Amino acid sequence: MLLEMKHITKEYGTLRANDDVDLSLREGEILAVVGENGAGKSTLMKILYGLEKPTEGDIYINGELQKFRSPHDAMAKKIGMVQQHFMLLQPCTVAENIVYGHEPKKSGIFFDRKRAAAITKELCEKYGLSIDPSLIVSNCPVGLQQRVEILKVLYQDASIIIFDEPSAVLTPQEVGELLKTIKKLASMGKSIIIITHKLSEVMEVADRVMVMRQGKRIKEMAKSETSIEELSFLMVGRHIVERKIPPQETTGTVLDVQDLVLSGSDKKNILDHFSIHVDAGEIVGIAGVSGNGQSELIECITGLTQITSGDILICGKTIVGKTVGERRTAGCACIPEDRYLWGCAKQATLTETSIMAHQREPAISRYGILNTKGIQKFTSGLLERYDVRSGGLSQKTGELSGGNLQKMIVAREIELNSNLLIAAEPTRGVDIGAMEFIHSRLLDKRAKGDAVLLISSELTEIMTLSDRIYVIYDGKVAGEFRKQDATEESLGILMMGGESNEPKAV
Amino acid sequence: MSQKLSNRRITSGLHSAWNTMRQPLIATILGLLVGAVVILACGKNPLSVYAEMFDKSFLKSYYLFSTLTRATPIILCAMATAIAWRAGYINIGVEGQMIIGAFAATVSALFIPGSPILIAIISFIIGMVAGALYALLPAVLTWKFRVSMVICTLMLDYVASYITSYFVTYPLKDVSGDGLALQTAQLDPGMWLPRLTPKNTLHFGFIIAILVVVFMVFITKKTVFGYESKMSGFNPSFARYGGTKQVKVMMITMALSGAIASLAGTVEIFGLKYRYADSMFTSTSYAWTGLMAALIANLNPVGMFFVSIFLAGLQIGGSAIQRSLGIPLEISTIIQCCITLFVSVKLVFNFIKKRKAKSTAAEKGGEKA
Repeated sequence: MLLEMKHITKEYGTLRANDDVDLSLREGEILAVVGENGAGKSTLMKILYGLEKPTEGDIYINGELQKFRSPHDAMAKKIGMVQQHFMLLQPCTVAENIVYGHEPKKSGIFFDRKRAAAITKELCEKYGLSIDPSLIVSNCPVGLQQRVEILKVLYQDASIIIFDEPSAVLTPQEVGELLKTIKKLASMGKSIIIITHKLSEVMEVADRVMVMRQGKRIKEMAKSETSIEELSFLMVGRHIVERKIPPQETTGTVLDVQDLVLSGSDKKNILDHFSIHVDAGEIVGIAGVSGNGQSELIECITGLTQITSGDILICGKTIVGKTVGERRTAGCACIPEDRYLWGCAKQATLTETSIMAHQREPAISRYGILNTKGIQKFTSGLLERYDVRSGGLSQKTGELSGGNLQKMIVAREIELNSNLLIAAEPTRGVDIGAMEFIHSRLLDKRAKGDAVLLISSELTEIMTLSDRIYVIYDGKVAGEFRKQDATEESLGILMMGGESNEPKAV
Repeated sequence: MSQKLSNRRITSGLHSAWNTMRQPLIATILGLLVGAVVILACGKNPLSVYAEMFDKSFLKSYYLFSTLTRATPIILCAMATAIAWRAGYINIGVEGQMIIGAFAATVSALFIPGSPILIAIISFIIGMVAGALYALLPAVLTWKFRVSMVICTLMLDYVASYITSYFVTYPLKDVSGDGLALQTAQLDPGMWLPRLTPKNTLHFGFIIAILVVVFMVFITKKTVFGYESKMSGFNPSFARYGGTKQVKVMMITMALSGAIASLAGTVEIFGLKYRYADSMFTSTSYAWTGLMAALIANLNPVGMFFVSIFLAGLQIGGSAIQRSLGIPLEISTIIQCCITLFVSVKLVFNFIKKRKAKSTAAEKGGEKA
């Protein structure tokens, strides 16, 4: 056995992040560690990589007991990690990034750029990855940046490579590439641990699967002996039922975007005569490859960006020129697409994060004075009803796992009880359990007769939840579908900028 | 169950108190150690020097009152710094706002006729308004022209200092005495702030400082404005998304900052010096000591109150040992700066972390666009 972790337990205060977990890895094998957010996968890997010290338990490599005090020790034992959030020097070239830390030197002093580029080329050839060593990292798309991370780990001659949620930031095509790379690395004798909660990826690459739930190892099995259904059952601890969404009559228009134009810096319109409407009691999806104007659309509606021309109405009243706060009062809630940039402040406590946009409600404050008891009641109510697993009200927001933070933001925005809810990437990077939960809340919102505008790069999410679907391409509405008319193919063609064969539906 | 819960709450409370206090305490110990090395280099025994310093700053009542007197403007400067900093506006122009505010108050007190107590109160208010306006100037420049607030506020320190310098050198110079000192005439004794003890210098300004601390605690913990400004400081995008009016937050925080800064100078004049003298605030560097206190206490109002007193004590004790043991006064400056330095190490770490997080977030946003 190449690597063994035995009886690993990790406690943070009263929270047991890992509870007597065993893990083993053979040479040339791909092991997938799956589990919901907060199941303890990342903690386990941090321990293996020397970023955290276990409260109890030991790590053996080739039967030898190891004590990792820092990632440096782990790297010395040929353990490498491809981080979820890349640790790259943005203004430097690919080659510079790869050799960083162990730079080739001329006469023992000067950095040898040519040699660095040559090393990069060699590595690329050896492992069949292609990248131009002279590219500046900040100009590379995310998929390439990840490749740089992988090459960096390979340059450090790692034989055990940990991938932490590698596909979370990638487009579907990039994911395909990545999985190929992983398989190739394994075939060349590298041993791989991949942490993920995307089960289709697991089924594609893994040899063995280990399921974690609430810090414990639930089960481990060969991939051939299991299925997506079984894995999702083990991860969540219950069966996921397929959803039946009852049809529902809509009443009146809530959001009406009329001929919206947002011009960019280079005269090209980011949003180009964009018109959509969302009625009360329906979920309307915006399908599209990200970067086609979705983010800007959200910013225009919420008031973070001023529009160039056109009109936006909520419940028949124009909100153009109004401040963010006034639009929120007018009935516009928003689950932001980037939860760390817009959705919270990492250093703030859970109470502080949860009352944002609620701070002037009578239960929270009167005459500008905060009602501490009311706030605590409000926040604990949210945490309880929306099943946010936390370490208490005064915990720092940044310490919540991604899925729990997302649930909290969803809770905060739904509790605004607004007529319109914009849900942007509401389940990005969250696990099945949380995803199902968030979807249910969105459907509840619809059942209450409110309007939901769903913006997502996950086509399945759009197709499951939406009553109506718009396709956005290059800042324009490329098509509109009723739920029953939409197929993955028809949407997909329009999303890529193609022309629909049929005349526009609806 | 509830017993257990309350126990847990107590331990978690202690835990968070320890977490906030840990860094300043370690920094203080390290600072004192560096000071000890310097004292050793002077050929003295650090322990006995520290004992003497402590004795002549906190233990003997006369010195304790001197310490508190000195701490008064420092506390107010720390509060002025903190209220802007916690909202993310790096106002390092507290000194300038203090000079302009205090000078305006002094001039009002000298020239507006009327009953002394009433005029004193009016002068305080005029001083605060002047300080607030002087702080709003960089705020407006930042808002309208995206000028760096750090540079702008810092430069305005010099502007304030030289403007007042002109006035006390020429038009408002006191010619009643020997006419050598660059200072205004003395205030009417009826306007002086009362002393808290008959034999010492401690004056009513200290009470005002305590009231401002209470005000700060109230603002930060209990008001929507305090909440919104804190969130703006943590993550301006988040605050904006939540409907906070950022320009309003900036204007109010800067105005409050300037008003409190002006109080720091005004109480020093009405309580201790009774006149405005050239460079009276620059040479004492109250504003910068206050800024250090704010840094060391991590902008916590109660923490800043005690740290300010501690730093004032270091200065009082420092001058005492210079007199009695012949150790240069600079020793207290060395200790003070070392403590700030050791505390800021953490601040810089946090700042770098934030920058990193921000830039990765920005990249994410960027690759989408």
